Amino acid sequence: MVSLRPLLQRRLLSTTASKNPHNHRNCNNNRIRSQKWAIKQVTKSNFSDSVEELKNHISSSDFVAVSLRKTGSFSAPWHRVSPFDAPETAYFKAKYAAERFQILQFAVCPFSIRADKLIAHPYNFHLFPRDELRTGMPSYSFSCQTSHLMSMAREGLDFNTCIYDGISYLSRAQETAAKVRTGNPQRASHVIESTSTPSVADSVFIERIKSRVKHWKNACKNSGTSVDDVLLISMRKLLLGSENYGSRPSMTIDVCSERQVQLVLEMLQGFFDELVPLIIPAKGGGTQAVRVVLTISKEDKDLLESELRDLEEEQTKKVRGFREVIDLISASQKPVVSHNSLNDFTFIHSKFLAPLPSNMDEFKSSLRSVFGHVLDVNHLMREIGSLGKVSSIPAAISYLRNRFFLPTNVEVPQQVMSTEDKILGTRVVWLCQLFTKLCSILKIDLNAVRFGNDSQLVSYANIFNACFTNSQESTDGDIRVWSNSRKKVSSKDLIFLWGFRNGITAGMLKSMLQGSHEVFSEEFNVRLVDKSSAIVVFWQPGLSETFLDAMKSFELSEPLREMVSEGLRASGYEIYMKACSLHLRETNLADSLEKALVCHDSETAPGIKPSEIQWSEMMIDFDNL
Amino acid sequence: MPKTAKQWPFRAISLSRALSRSCSTTTATSAVPPPPPSFPLKHVTRSNFESALADLRSVVRAADFVAIDLEMTGVTSSPWRESFEFDRFDVRYLKVKDSAEKFAVVQFGVCPFRWDSQSLSFIAHPSVSLLFTCFFAFLILRHNFFVFPRQELLVDGSSYEFLCQTTSIDFLAKYQFDFNACINGGISYLSRVQEDEAVTRLNLLYEDCQLGSRHSLKEVRDTPLVSMTDVFFSERMKIRLGEWHDALLRDRNLGSPIKRTLNDSNQPFQTIFFKMRPALALNGFTSHQLKLIQSVSKKHFKDLAYICMNGEGSSSQHLVVYTDSEHDKDLLMKEVKDEHRKGEEMKIKNTIGFRHVIDLLSSEQKLIVGHNCFLDVAHIYSKFFGPLPSTAEKFVTSVNKYFPQIIDTKVLLNANDILQLRMKRSSTSLSSAFSSLCPQIALGSQRSDLFFQSRVKVEVQVDDTRSSIWSSGAKHEAGYDAFMTGCIFAQACSHLGIDFKVFSPTEHLANSEKLQKHMNLLYLSWTNGDTIDLSTGHRTAGILSSSNLKKRYPKILFENIVLVWGFPSKLKAMEIKECVCKVFGPTSVTSIYHLDETAVFVQFGSAELVSEFLVLKETLERNDNAISVLHPLSKLLEGGNTHAADYGTYKEICSSPISKVLFADQAEAVGIKWKTKLVESEVEVRTQDHECSHKQSTVNSDSDSIQKNRRKIDYAIRSSGHDINDSIYDTEIKQISAANL
Repeated sequence: MVSLRPLLQRRLLSTTASKNPHNHRNCNNNRIRSQKWAIKQVTKSNFSDSVEELKNHISSSDFVAVSLRKTGSFSAPWHRVSPFDAPETAYFKAKYAAERFQILQFAVCPFSIRADKLIAHPYNFHLFPRDELRTGMPSYSFSCQTSHLMSMAREGLDFNTCIYDGISYLSRAQETAAKVRTGNPQRASHVIESTSTPSVADSVFIERIKSRVKHWKNACKNSGTSVDDVLLISMRKLLLGSENYGSRPSMTIDVCSERQVQLVLEMLQGFFDELVPLIIPAKGGGTQAVRVVLTISKEDKDLLESELRDLEEEQTKKVRGFREVIDLISASQKPVVSHNSLNDFTFIHSKFLAPLPSNMDEFKSSLRSVFGHVLDVNHLMREIGSLGKVSSIPAAISYLRNRFFLPTNVEVPQQVMSTEDKILGTRVVWLCQLFTKLCSILKIDLNAVRFGNDSQLVSYANIFNACFTNSQESTDGDIRVWSNSRKKVSSKDLIFLWGFRNGITAGMLKSMLQGSHEVFSEEFNVRLVDKSSAIVVFWQPGLSETFLDAMKSFELSEPLREMVSEGLRASGYEIYMKACSLHLRETNLADSLEKALVCHDSETAPGIKPSEIQWSEMMIDFDNL
Repeated sequence: MPKTAKQWPFRAISLSRALSRSCSTTTATSAVPPPPPSFPLKHVTRSNFESALADLRSVVRAADFVAIDLEMTGVTSSPWRESFEFDRFDVRYLKVKDSAEKFAVVQFGVCPFRWDSQSLSFIAHPSVSLLFTCFFAFLILRHNFFVFPRQELLVDGSSYEFLCQTTSIDFLAKYQFDFNACINGGISYLSRVQEDEAVTRLNLLYEDCQLGSRHSLKEVRDTPLVSMTDVFFSERMKIRLGEWHDALLRDRNLGSPIKRTLNDSNQPFQTIFFKMRPALALNGFTSHQLKLIQSVSKKHFKDLAYICMNGEGSSSQHLVVYTDSEHDKDLLMKEVKDEHRKGEEMKIKNTIGFRHVIDLLSSEQKLIVGHNCFLDVAHIYSKFFGPLPSTAEKFVTSVNKYFPQIIDTKVLLNANDILQLRMKRSSTSLSSAFSSLCPQIALGSQRSDLFFQSRVKVEVQVDDTRSSIWSSGAKHEAGYDAFMTGCIFAQACSHLGIDFKVFSPTEHLANSEKLQKHMNLLYLSWTNGDTIDLSTGHRTAGILSSSNLKKRYPKILFENIVLVWGFPSKLKAMEIKECVCKVFGPTSVTSIYHLDETAVFVQFGSAELVSEFLVLKETLERNDNAISVLHPLSKLLEGGNTHAADYGTYKEICSSPISKVLFADQAEAVGIKWKTKLVESEVEVRTQDHECSHKQSTVNSDSDSIQKNRRKIDYAIRSSGHDINDSIYDTEIKQISAANL
């Protein structure tokens, strides 16, 4: 397939691309930003060509890395995923963001490791949710955060390109809805032989339609032989209800029910070989009419049918837009590598698959049916102890560079003519690089290993822990030892406090609490979550309940009563859960907790029973709070 | 003023855009159409804002009126928040409020018009600014001011967020809006309330803190020396500082100047003078090391003060300053603190940005002219003054304080018969009004036939370039739209009989008697023609709607309306009507209106039917028995998710800041848990009686209700023809109202 010319070019390009990493590693270790890879920028105009290319690259690669640039992340400080977030609350937060914000750039990079060489094929797709079909889809509106827009602008994103030429898309769920709404004729699916005997009304209907069709067909055939004047032709058209479908004559049969559709189709199949039925959908679903197209011969009929198939294919392509790429990745069953998979995949699920389910488990299983293996680089970093706190890709790469000798030769054998200084989507190549390095540290051999056989990598797949310190899967034995302040705490021993004076510090709050109640004579920690609320950790089990009970009773000690009179409120973790699931819209956690508390109180049912909280054991690293 | 049109480059794109349909005939007849000058209108971005503002000040001062226009990132945050016939005054305001709060203004067109008695023409100064709001509601605006929020002051962690409506962004793109220019060059802005808040926060910050540097505003926690390296480093620093400190004292005692041997800028310690005091500048330390030095100086040296000065950009200078005494130290700290504070205050002042333009328009008390501008005014209020008040009345009063005179050209054109005649009753949309009222400007023609003589002449001046014929090109660019609005207004005034020639400069155009009855009248809703008077808060129902559709539509009585949502999605308006009519009689339902696919308004013939309907629904749902299943209403209640309430609930849901695309989802998100809201207020007592009696009747008299039903079914069949018409009519109206938007 590869002709000599591109090969030559490729060599030239790859030398420039792969020469640099060497130099960089040897000369200036810290300047990974200056590396330039040929990343194909894809917009509407070169989309279909690029997809063909990408398809080949995906099938020839072992992994696919994805990296998203969005219009926003979290709307309020407390919406950021914190170490004390359970998987469920982290999911609620990610879901909230995924439903509000928009993806503007979607970088895809199929890659494989061959003889210590990382071969990557990066693409950066520009997306815009243009309403191509005028149906209010894919999204009616979306939020933008200026901070995110500005940072994309700094990276050199051309917003005009994005908005004028961005690729649109529809999710799988939306596509189904769109097919109905566009009202394009569809090929009649296979006729199901009805078992029920036709009623009198049915046979009358069939006979009538049959004679109409026969009449029309004969008229069409006759008119083909004789030369009529224009008036006569139009008169005939009017009388017989004859139309044209392309160059072929057609007629429309109105139907009132799906039953009649079946009857018409059965009748046509039985009596007329040269007729091709098309179904015209009604606006609100169902069928409006059946259109019959007359063909002259068997060959002509086959021709028409293949034309219709092509048309349908083209339409679905147009409707799917960028989702074709998602479908390609999904169909390839290649493991998908991402950084912060919870955030990225909630976005992917809500934009390209279907609305996000209401809980984490459903989300996981729904996602798994589309992407078999999702590998989170963040999770791999957690496995390497000292990397636990590094959250950005460039930081992690330079960290590894300083500590390990891991020569990774990146080769981007792609032909892209780019004169721009700033190349968008570089992050995805870094991601591939980081993944490779991490795997080599973790002694995972990526050379030509088929994923299914490598049980070692499988064990790292599909873990959607947003928070880098909250890893409940690991057993107690191998809890990482790098941090002394790391202690295990149950969510039952966490309480939330709010309603204190604005501008208070954690230290002040702690000293106020000390001596206000006996539980605070034991060891406890206080951190502010946002300016309106704080989290308290009791290191001794059971004290939180004592305190919460005390807050409910009237017999409060004087200092505590004073604080309560000033507005102090407290709640357990279940209220926080509730706040995350129902009241994420509030900018202050305090308002949200307050609302959740009101709901909770008004419900007679005891709410979430402690037994339902499977996440009750969690890791808290107070240095990260 | 003779103009050599040739000197302006002929821009094919802009020409074709501006002239569009109307041009095609002209080009055909006149062989050589003179290319109209197409110098661009003034584009203002961050880079030229200062100078543009200065120019604008003088131009606005001299102006007779100022036309404005805004471009936003969207209009409605969900389909059911669009403008409907069924919007009550208060609901309409809530919808406008929601829109102004959620969307950002990206372009602000300002076009002052001044009557020039020498050339007997208006001089227009069109300009457009790009705005971009940065973080946390600190926004940026431009003169066609590109408005875009940008962060100049990051007060807390939250980021400014705004909504984009996909179709609106697409619309802007269609008219070649430059999004890059907006994001990179948009002018920021700060509303008055935000400015006050920022100042208050600043004051609090400085009152609370004892320390001078911004960094040390945070509580200085004693950095624990965790590693041996830290211990060694601290010890070494203690010695270094001690040496320096002792050297200072020694030198002073000797009366000699400080040794300059160490003064090499590459040295980590550089002795300099800071506010007349000797100081050590700390260079090349990491932030962790600086923290250690800070705690060392605090712990071991009483007369050394650690200070962090914020320099340009992100760079900051860290100093250890020697002070004579505790008192001197306090003095120094206070001095530094004040300096910081002044710097912060300056920062806030600089962030005001585009609001200076609004302040200018407000303080000059100029007549403001807009086209269908209620939403524009709401945006101006929320972006530059403060949060929008909860009711239209309060809003109107506050607006009137800032802008005592506003004229809406759309109201003007629709309210006046002379103007209607002049326009040959064509559409009052901005562009068609412009081409029918000001053809000489719209066509860019230099023809001087009689036809054009009666027209008001408008000359355009951008910086030093002036022309009597001008086409900037871009329709739907805020600057050009403002220009068109101003031209329409000038021409309309002339038709109303205002003679600019005899107009003395002392006499304000705004005080003209002929304009008085249109003054401060704005369309609250163009869909139903409701207007509101900004000076009195008085509202007028839409009597002037030009569409005769209005007359066919039954009068809307809000107390007769029930809001139903969450019913099976396949149900059409016609079927719902049929279903209700079976129960309450053929004439019970006046009209059905689809809010979206999940919700409808049902208008009953009387308010009693509203409560009867709600009670019946409630009863049926409570008694889950055969009667309920067979009841004609069960079709509507199928799925068990059908909710119903009075019109007040619609208002309540509209006032929520949440915006879900489907109404049923919205209601759920707002937290509506009940299924039926029985009518409140004075009817309540009656309703309860009703409820009881009704319950009895449904339980006891099965045969009776069956008979009743049969009768209703009969009717439904007979009247179905009428129903179909009605539903077709409904969709027609929906389309029309959509087109008007």
